[in-house]
Amino acid sequence: MNYAKLNLMKQLFLLSIVAGFFGWNFIAPTDVLAEKGYTEIEVADGGTVIGNVKYMSGSEAPGLNLYRDWELSDASKTSSEKLIVSKINNGLKNAIVSLTDISRGKKKVTSVIHPLIDQQNNIFIPRVLAILEGTTVDFLNGDEVMHNVHTRSLKNQPFNLGTTYKQRISKKFDYPEIIQLTCDLHKNTNAWIVVLAHPYFDMTDRNGYFEICDIPPGTYKFRVWHEELGNLEKEVTVNPKEITTIEFEYSQN
Amino acid sequence: MKPKVLLDKVSLWSATAVVSVALMLSIAPTNVKAELKVPTEITELGKDTYKKYCSPCHGEEGGGNGPLARSMLPKPRDFTRGAYKFRTTPSGSLPTDEDIYRTISFGVPNSTMIPWDILTEEQRLSVIPVLKSFSEAFEFRKPDPPVEVGLRVRPTEKCIAQGKKIYEEKLECWKCHGIEGRGDGPSAAEQEDDFGFPIKPFDFTTGKFKGGNSPQDVYLRFTTGLNGTPMPSFAKELTDEERWCLTYYVMSLIKPEDDNHK
Repeated sequence: MNYAKLNLMKQLFLLSIVAGFFGWNFIAPTDVLAEKGYTEIEVADGGTVIGNVKYMSGSEAPGLNLYRDWELSDASKTSSEKLIVSKINNGLKNAIVSLTDISRGKKKVTSVIHPLIDQQNNIFIPRVLAILEGTTVDFLNGDEVMHNVHTRSLKNQPFNLGTTYKQRISKKFDYPEIIQLTCDLHKNTNAWIVVLAHPYFDMTDRNGYFEICDIPPGTYKFRVWHEELGNLEKEVTVNPKEITTIEFEYSQN
Repeated sequence: MKPKVLLDKVSLWSATAVVSVALMLSIAPTNVKAELKVPTEITELGKDTYKKYCSPCHGEEGGGNGPLARSMLPKPRDFTRGAYKFRTTPSGSLPTDEDIYRTISFGVPNSTMIPWDILTEEQRLSVIPVLKSFSEAFEFRKPDPPVEVGLRVRPTEKCIAQGKKIYEEKLECWKCHGIEGRGDGPSAAEQEDDFGFPIKPFDFTTGKFKGGNSPQDVYLRFTTGLNGTPMPSFAKELTDEERWCLTYYVMSLIKPEDDNHK
């Protein structure tokens, strides 16, 4: 074994330790993302999986402040948007459901219209964005104050750009990775971009529902990612031209 | 046309050509450096040099956690993420070999990184592939081409006043660096770098700019940003002239040494 290989191994080992120590904030865990290699095929008799992601909490869900809108809007006050749970069915918003072990499936189509992340009243809107690799995302400063957009990604080129009012920047994300966006001037806000290697993913709506369609029949691992609550996994068998319903549940501990 | 007139014309033209070529050469930038021969593979010399001179602070594995690192602030650079502060390349990009060589050779003022010109040029160059081997990032990405530094404008009073306006109103630099440039703005206290260590916005009054003291160095710092720190790049925000104006304004904030300690 030559030095370079040995060194690479050592370095990977060290990196894993560093990742363990610093956790979510600095190095995004790559295990949430799909394996390498994805072949595009025509999916004629694909099945659909619909479902619901729930967060069961004993008390009132934190971060949901009903009185927020009654207060005067103040630029220095930002709402906590980490955990948004529906009052009706405990559905969890902004969780990302994806297949982890799919190697062949429908065509990857990156949207021509760039998804937009806006900074309004010092918060990023939307807070979580799931995109297919190769997608370009636009960042807009909608506030009349200075902001910056700071990422710490490793595979995708990180960036830290200062933006003034109405400045729009476009960045392309080429590798699957979970990226945190921060603004160093307004510390209490951040956003997440989850870049995935294949088009089988969905983000839950405000009641925690998701839908993934055109899955080639077979048994797959489904994984849910949420910024606060971490990962959940489930194996699901998808039958041709059928709708399968699944449910994920985060419990409070 | 008579032959003599023709001859005159030819000589006039050739004289003009010679003069213009000479002018061109004299005007053209003369920063053509001697080619740096950076070894592409890790050499024994590089490993030895790193272990002997760099690893006490930067760590054996480049994690910025050598035995001496604990007592230092700012912390020695963690090479595992490929984030280098002083570059000529755009924000987020990896540095060029010349950038790394520059930082090794000139050091970083106001920190414990000394100028390593006590080492031979060959030793300094041999360390570069070792540093790069610590980060995966060099396998996924290539450094972007260096940013273009525009033609320098003169530091007139009007220009400096324009720089002041950018500093105070447009880019709001004062929010971190303070209105007098002392690094004491309202957001200064809460800043931390990508590795979770607290970081102080630069105090311009000291005049010891970390990335170098020439106007071009200052120009590059806010154009490219400092990777791994909260300092962003303002590449899209300013025109070339505005950048020079901001550069001159920032440099005008330097206070003479004895004023500093009153």
